[in-house]
Amino acid sequence: MDRPARPVPTPDAVTAPFWEGCLRGELRVQACGACGARWLPASVVCPRCWSDAIAWIRAAGAGTVVTFAVYHRAYHEAFRPLLPYVVAVVELAEGPRLVSNIVGVPPERVQIGLPVRVEFEPIEGTALPVFRPVDEGG
Amino acid sequence: MRKPGACIAGVGHTALGPRLGRPAWALQAEAVRAAVSDAGLAPGDVDGLITEAGYSQGVVEGITPHFLRLGGMLGLDPRYTATEVLGGASSVAMVQRAALAVGAGLCSACVCVFGDAPSAARGTWSYGRGDDAAFGLFGAIGLHALAARRHMALYGTRAEQLGEIAVTQRRHAGLTPHAQQREPLTLDDYLVSSWVVEPLRVADCCLVSDGAGAVVVTSTERARDLPRCGIRIAGFGQAHRLTGLAGDEHLTALPARESGRIAFGMAGLGPGDVDVAELYDCFTSVVLMQLEDYGFCKKGEGGAFVEGGRLGLGGALPTNTAGGLLSEGFGGGMLHVVEAVRQLRGECGARQVVGAEIALVSGHGLGMNTHATLLLCRD
Repeated sequence: MDRPARPVPTPDAVTAPFWEGCLRGELRVQACGACGARWLPASVVCPRCWSDAIAWIRAAGAGTVVTFAVYHRAYHEAFRPLLPYVVAVVELAEGPRLVSNIVGVPPERVQIGLPVRVEFEPIEGTALPVFRPVDEGG
Repeated sequence: MRKPGACIAGVGHTALGPRLGRPAWALQAEAVRAAVSDAGLAPGDVDGLITEAGYSQGVVEGITPHFLRLGGMLGLDPRYTATEVLGGASSVAMVQRAALAVGAGLCSACVCVFGDAPSAARGTWSYGRGDDAAFGLFGAIGLHALAARRHMALYGTRAEQLGEIAVTQRRHAGLTPHAQQREPLTLDDYLVSSWVVEPLRVADCCLVSDGAGAVVVTSTERARDLPRCGIRIAGFGQAHRLTGLAGDEHLTALPARESGRIAFGMAGLGPGDVDVAELYDCFTSVVLMQLEDYGFCKKGEGGAFVEGGRLGLGGALPTNTAGGLLSEGFGGGMLHVVEAVRQLRGECGARQVVGAEIALVSGHGLGMNTHATLLLCRD
């Protein structure tokens, strides 16, 4: 029996530049030209000062693990072969946080504060920004 | 002195179970009938209806407003109606909305109902969270596991302390005839319970239930002419963190702090006045965080607070006295309101908190984003 396809992002007019960046190997965050705030997920105005003067900038790709959870059950069949897998909140050096996966190490070696670096995992015609510990060849 | 405002004049609920074999509509109607009857009112007296579509109906019914179909089936042409969409905060928010509507004179007997039949729908609790599903973040449990891990790391909260909450609530469910899970749970049972999303185990998670609960809100004056002792809605508040992960504290603190401050301020009460707490408990860790954020203990000390039987009957703060979502069954938070009212009426038999006069009820939902607080008082 075929497994169902893994769920993929569904970019819209607001989020498309983020996912286009991933396909080009760029991790992008939004930045405000008026107050200097930087954030994810995508917005249509600066969430701090409501300025329209916002732009996408390329993040360096370095971050740290703020917290993580280890899935021991498959809520979606496509993830069953990946169990146990790690979902984490990563804080980028630029400030914004995002939900992602920690790859390249077993779950028991993931910890809060772990330095990680982004890499892009091609999947179903898109690319997911996932993170690998910097000590593990990242 | 005349006390203005609104009362809960009647409460009702259905059985709770993993598979009742009835549509959610039928469960909702039964709970409404029970609550209206409990209030000593007749169907024709109801002139307000506030609902929440259960998860099963939220998926199945699409964009049709839930109140429209339920109200039609109940034969109601109310003067006020709405469907609340705050997730697990909806039930408490419904009661607040009813109190506001009754207080403003928009209606005089407002029914609030939550009911769900997840057994009739597939995968209602394993939804993906938007684009985050691409990373495998599924279910309400994902964000809660992320939060629990961080709380444990920052404050030294231990698994045994989360287990104490599960064990205590199961003991309460053992004293609750309608509870879905009544067999005893020991701390050892808890510690060998399997991981779902680590650090949360099966025994940390709420039950999945078919069932419904409802309450009737009337003016304090109207409640005086009704057969039951009306329970006064003494204070309420809401606070929401729509910024999600961008908020600094999001993963260790809940908007319960702001919501509670508003409610306590309205009622002229403080945490020390609360005799019984019915705290939304989709996961054990959420109970622990609320104890801190409501000010029952300091931030970071929730783990120590739950030790020594404080949450049990006879403890300093009897909590989730019917077993809560963890053991009584998933009543969407409305069963928490029902239990608080019964405690304040003194109807709880073996699980009665002796002399209970003030209850705090909370709702928490949509991941970790919404929160609502209700303070109820027996005058």
